[in-house]
Formats: sequence, C-alpha cells, structure tokens
Amino acid sequence: MKQMYIFSLFLLGFLSINRSYAQGFQVNFQGQKQQGMGCAGTALFQDGASIFYNPGSVAFSNENSINIASTPIFSNVLYVDSATQHGYRTKNPVGTPFSAYGIFQAHKHDKLKFGIAAYTPFGSTVQWEENWIGRFALTRLELKAIYIQPTLSYRIADVIGIGAGFIISTGNVNLQKDVPVQDSLGNYGHAELAGKALGFGFNAGIHYDLNKKLTVGITYRSQINMKVKNGVATFTVPASLNTNFPDGVFTGALPLPNVTTLGWAYKATKKWQFVLDINYVGWKVYDSLAFDYEKNTTSLLDTKSARNYKSIFAFRGGAMYKANGKLDMRLGSGFGFSPVPDASVTPETPDANRFYFTGGLSYRFTEKFSIDASIYYTQLKRTAQNAETNLYGTYRTKAVAPGFSLIYKW
Amino acid sequence: MNRIITTISIAAFMVLAVFSCKPKYNEPTYSKGEIDPSRFVMIGGGHVAGYMNDGLYFEGQENSLANIIARQLAKVGGGNFNQPLVDQSSIGISSNLLSPMKLGYKTDCQGVTSLSPIRIAAQGDLGVFNQNIYSTNALFGNYGIPGLKLADVFSSNSNSFFTRMASSSSASIMGDAFASQPTFFSLFLGLEEVLSFAKSGGTTEYIQPNILFASDYEQVLLTATANGAKGVLATIPDVSEMPYFTTIPWNGLTLDASSNTTLNSIYNPLDYYFSVGSNPFMIVDSTANAFAVRQILSTELLTLSLPLDSVKCNQMGVLFPIRDEFVLDAGELQYLRGVIAEYNQIIIDLAAKYNLAVVNVNEFSKNLQTGFVYNGVTMSSKFVSGGAYSLDGIHFNAKGNALLANEFIKSINSKYKSRIPQVDANAFNSTLFP
Repeated sequence: MKQMYIFSLFLLGFLSINRSYAQGFQVNFQGQKQQGMGCAGTALFQDGASIFYNPGSVAFSNENSINIASTPIFSNVLYVDSATQHGYRTKNPVGTPFSAYGIFQAHKHDKLKFGIAAYTPFGSTVQWEENWIGRFALTRLELKAIYIQPTLSYRIADVIGIGAGFIISTGNVNLQKDVPVQDSLGNYGHAELAGKALGFGFNAGIHYDLNKKLTVGITYRSQINMKVKNGVATFTVPASLNTNFPDGVFTGALPLPNVTTLGWAYKATKKWQFVLDINYVGWKVYDSLAFDYEKNTTSLLDTKSARNYKSIFAFRGGAMYKANGKLDMRLGSGFGFSPVPDASVTPETPDANRFYFTGGLSYRFTEKFSIDASIYYTQLKRTAQNAETNLYGTYRTKAVAPGFSLIYKW
Repeated sequence: MNRIITTISIAAFMVLAVFSCKPKYNEPTYSKGEIDPSRFVMIGGGHVAGYMNDGLYFEGQENSLANIIARQLAKVGGGNFNQPLVDQSSIGISSNLLSPMKLGYKTDCQGVTSLSPIRIAAQGDLGVFNQNIYSTNALFGNYGIPGLKLADVFSSNSNSFFTRMASSSSASIMGDAFASQPTFFSLFLGLEEVLSFAKSGGTTEYIQPNILFASDYEQVLLTATANGAKGVLATIPDVSEMPYFTTIPWNGLTLDASSNTTLNSIYNPLDYYFSVGSNPFMIVDSTANAFAVRQILSTELLTLSLPLDSVKCNQMGVLFPIRDEFVLDAGELQYLRGVIAEYNQIIIDLAAKYNLAVVNVNEFSKNLQTGFVYNGVTMSSKFVSGGAYSLDGIHFNAKGNALLANEFIKSINSKYKSRIPQVDANAFNSTLFP
C-alpha cells in the first residue's frame, strides 16, 4: 500500500554528441596550398601537409621543411523554426585549428623521409543563443581533437612513392543542453558532459607519376574510434530532483569514418597545374550514438540515439597558376553529399549537401622562407525534422575560413 | 607589386570573414487569411479561463488558453484582449474557496515525507469574488468561467467566477460575451458537463441530454455568427485520460504474507482472492453481493480525491471499501465516454454546418496519453512528470495550454488560409519543482 504517488520522472532522450563543424565529409582544413585548390592534393606533393593528404607523395620531398599554419573558422548558423517562424542563431567563438608539419631526411636525396604532423581536424565550438528553441537538444558543443601522425615515406622507384603514418588522436568534448525540469522560479535544469577522448588509426598512401604530366595518388585513412572513458556528467536541477539526476561518470564513443581517396594531378604547362580528388567516406559506421551512465535512475537512463549515416562521395578540385618565380595563385571548389539522413539532422551538425569555393596564394620571400594564404567559403541550407527531438525547421549555415601558413625549408 | 597584392588579399580575407558569414533572417510574413481577428472572444470553462493548480490566479490567467491564442492573433491584426484578471498580488482562489496548489513536501500518516501537491495557503483569497471588475471601457474577451456548462450561458448566473466580471447581476454570459460584437470567436463547451460527472465518481447523475446540448450549442452559434464572424470550435477530450483519474493505480493494494492471509480469510467466502504483492483495491458496489463490496477491475479508475492517508493507515480500500464517489466503474466509464462521443459528433456536425474550424482536442488528449516529444521534451498525461497538466490533474498548466493553443492555431490556419505563428511551448512554465 505504498508508492501512491508515482513519480517516474522524465525518460529523457539524453545526450548526443556529434561532429561540430565537421560537415558530413571530413574537413580538409589542412595545408593552405591544398585548401587553395579546393582542399585537394592527393596526387600532388606540395609541402608538409602532404603528410595528411598522401604520405606516399612525401617521398618526393627534396628537403627538410617545417610548416606552421592556422585556419580560423568563422561559422554561423541560423535556425528558423517552422512552427513559430522564429529565428535563432549560433554565437560560435572563432574556431582556431592549427597545424604543424615537418618533413626530414637524413641526407640529401635519401629515398626515406620522416614526417611528423600535428593537426586539429575538429577545433570548433557550437554555441546556440540563450533560450533557443532547441535547447533541450543542445546548447553548446565543444569538440577539440588533435591528431598526431608520425610518418615514414619511401621512394621505391623514381616514379613511385609509398608512405604510412600512425595516428594518435586525443581530444576533449564538452556537451551541454538544458534539462526539461523547472525550479521554483521557472529556470530549466542543465546538463554538462565533459570528457577526454582517445583514439588510434593510420594513414597510408601511394603516389605514382604516370608520365611527366599526369600523377595519380591513392590514400586510405582508417576509421578512428574516439572513446570517452570516465567522462564527467554534471546536472544542475531543482534540489528535490537531485537524486534523479546524480552527477557521475559516463562512457561514450564516436566513430570518425575511414576515408579512401583517389586523386589526380595534371601539369598542363609550366605555369598551370590542376588537381582532382574523389573521396569515399565511410560514414556508415556512425549508425548510433550511445551513452552509458554509471549511475542510472528512472530519469537518467543509458541512451542510444539512431544516427544511420550513409557513406558518401565528395569531389574536390582546383587549379594553380605560377605567376612568376615568387607568386603562385590558386582557385578551387568542391562538392560533398551529406551523409546525414533527414531524421538525424541535429543542431550539432545541421549538415547538407554542399558546394564550397576556395582560393589561395603563395609568396616566396627567399629560397627558404615562404608564406601561404587561403580562403574557404561555403553556405548551406537544410530543412528537416529530427526523429528524436521532433525539432523541425531550416538551418542555414555560412562559413568562411581564411588560413595562413609559414614555411621554412632547408 | 606582388607584396601589395598579398597584403590586399590578406586584408580582403579578414573583411570577408567578418562581414559575409551571417545567414540572413527573412522576417516571416504572417497573414490573417479569411478571418477578422480584431475582436476575439472565447467561451468555455476552467480550461479556457487559465484556471490551473486548482485555482484562478493572475499568472495562470496570463497563460490561459484564450490569452495565448489572442496573443498570436495579435500578430495578424488582433486587438486588445481583456481578461478578468485577478490582482497580481492575490494568491487566487479555487472553486472550493481554497488556495491554488504548488509542489512541496508533505508528510503522510506513516511519517513518510515526499514530494506532493500542497495548498499554498490555508484558504483562497475571497476578495477575488467580492469585487466586480466589469468595465464598459474594456469589455472582456475571455469568457472562460470555471465550471461553466453550456445550458448556463443564456440566463443570469450565480457562478462566482462570472459574477465578478458580469455587467450586472441579471447579465447572461451570452449577453456580455457578445456585447463587444466579436469578429472572431472560439467555443470550448461541454467539457465541464462531463467533468463534473467524472469528478464525482459518477455520483452526479445528470448530464444534459445530447438533443438539448445540440440545440443550445446551435443557439450560441446563431448569435456568434450573426455578423458573419468566423470561429473555431473545440471537441471534448476523454476526461478519463486526465491524471486526476489515472494516477492512483487500481492495484495499489500491496500485501505482505500476514495481511495476505488475513484478507483471504475475510474475502474468500465472497469469492475474492489475494496474493502477496499488488492487489486490486476493494470498492463499494451495491450490485456486487449482499455486502456491496468487490475488487476493482483493471479498467476502472480511482480519483485523485481519494483520501490517501485513509488508504495507507486506516484500511480504506481493504477492510473498508472505497466509496462510489472515488470510483469511475466500468458502467460509469461507458456512459461517460458515450456522452463525450455524442457531444463531439454534435460539435463536428455543427462546425461543418456553420463552416467553422474545429480543433480535435479529443485527439490531442489521446496523443498526450500516448506521449510525444515536443522540441526535445517528452510530454505526456502523467501526473506531475508528464509536464502538461497542472497539479489539479485536470487543467493544463501554462505549457499544456501553449501546446493546446498551437492546435487551435493549426486548425485556424488550415481552415481560414491564415498564417498565424505557433508559440514555443517550452517557453511556458510546466511543473515547478522545489
């Protein structure tokens, strides 16, 4: 004769992490020269960023080089809710991904090269405005991942190079959303999940000069499972509900997909060069997102959210014009299909099929020192209803990423 | 020269980055479609009035169904919408002269303290009823009168929630409501009839027969549409889906081994059997046997007014069967649901006859019972945790009203080709936890 009032509280569809700005296909914000040509460069050795684009082409490096770069991302999303017609914006701080690459050889003309790269494929924050309509799906997501990739490349013939690198990925994730329980003043609760993630993978490639003009490259970057162990879940809820939302430990995992790339480079004249990359990205691995809380209650259950991403193709291409001995100019563009089905579109990744445009410049001050600049622009639009939250509206995103790098060779 | 180009390009990048990357928000175009929303009147019961947590008070009225609809109508040309507001400093008052409820801690007869609805004061603010707030300068638009039955709209009325806003002691609700010559109206009538029957555990025998209900309803419509005003009608929810009737479980009688033995020895001769664990409560039923007692069926409902301390400590529902006034038995439920279905058919038919919009509140209530996710929040008709019903288990809270207002808006938009925006229901308060 007990438990007359049964407060089985809030089966919350809890928590979902996702790539922040990492549109469906992976973000190739590595290498200003490659970015200038549509983020392509699998078959063209340019500089240290080739450690990312194709470890095989690194074998064609002829000197030691160090390359330090940053590509700040200015990205803004506007969400217009279909029912209220109200618009809500992100207030994202500027993402500042950096990268550093070094290529070294023991002696001049060695066939073996050593490479080391550190880059941040995800370095941005999505922050929605206060009290926005999707606050129970997401208020803020900060994802920082740093990839460190030591690499060995070897020129097995005058026209063929192979290379492979091991990737150690470390990262931080901080995900926040409001919890739909109100205190006596009407303030909603809040949940924060923070953790460190660790994952491992590899990157391997072949570079083959078919003839003096045409080069082909193939790379495979493996899937990396970013695992969060001992993440910390913190809940701010009314005092009477504290036991329903115990602070505690959670575990989760996020698969970053494998990428297979086939690329071509064509040297049309002394002044003009063209590149084309086709990526196949194995997003199919991202079928669901699961969170496992150490302490479960009727209000706080382990969750498994369907994602059902599909593997997609992306196409990237660009051209370079060598204006003179010191200045190169670049233009490029790309198109990627979205791996995100309508039902899985979330405020973390308001992803859509997208075109983007890029441009870039290189200027060599001396034989040893040069700078590169690049710019990337895209805008996209997606109208969808999320199957888990039922948020239904249109996301419009604009992003500009101007980047700079300093290169020193010896 | 090249250096200049480089510098200019870098500067251009920065300018582009800062200025060109915000998507443009196009101001939405709202439209009133075929309606004239300039003077809006809504007639109904407590659900329309903003009565919630078993009380009428300022904040509830601000978030009344009628007021939320009126606020959205104002975006397409609706005028001022006056409500018979209780003073902001007043605690408000319930139909039984009690104060409204809030969620707090209550210690039961067994000394167990738990979260429970409690009254915010020993009694309600009687001053609410002592003052007449009618004004010819600001005619009311919200004629949601807690307890209002359709048959009572035509003549003078002693309902305290009406007398405080009536133009005179002889005024009728119809007369006052249509004095402003509304250009757009909404009716949410019939609900209080079935509710009063259900709340009494089916002990109030009389519900207006459907033929009279139909003719009264049509009479209201004739007046309402006389000037060509358009309107929106609402069907009646199955009130037995409300948490007032679904919170106390039929099988909440939990027995240990010794009480199990005792009860079996008492009731086995009547052919009622018990087991260790959950068991059906015993209820009064004069037709059951000579002792007028039987086990409740799993389909039968207990009201939230059931005195739980008597159940927990004084053998109510065990040795003393639960009285009829706390039980909706199978026969009463069948009758109740039959009346609701008949009333709803009348409302739907009249909406068609007068070419008016109709909101399927019955379906909305069913969806709530199943539960649905609204912008990331799970809403259901569960008591307290479901998020839509106030602590009285019958009336919606502000968020529930907002969700229902969106149903009205959708119905108006679809019938009258208007584009009235819905509200973000999560911006309205739900249950507040201490």
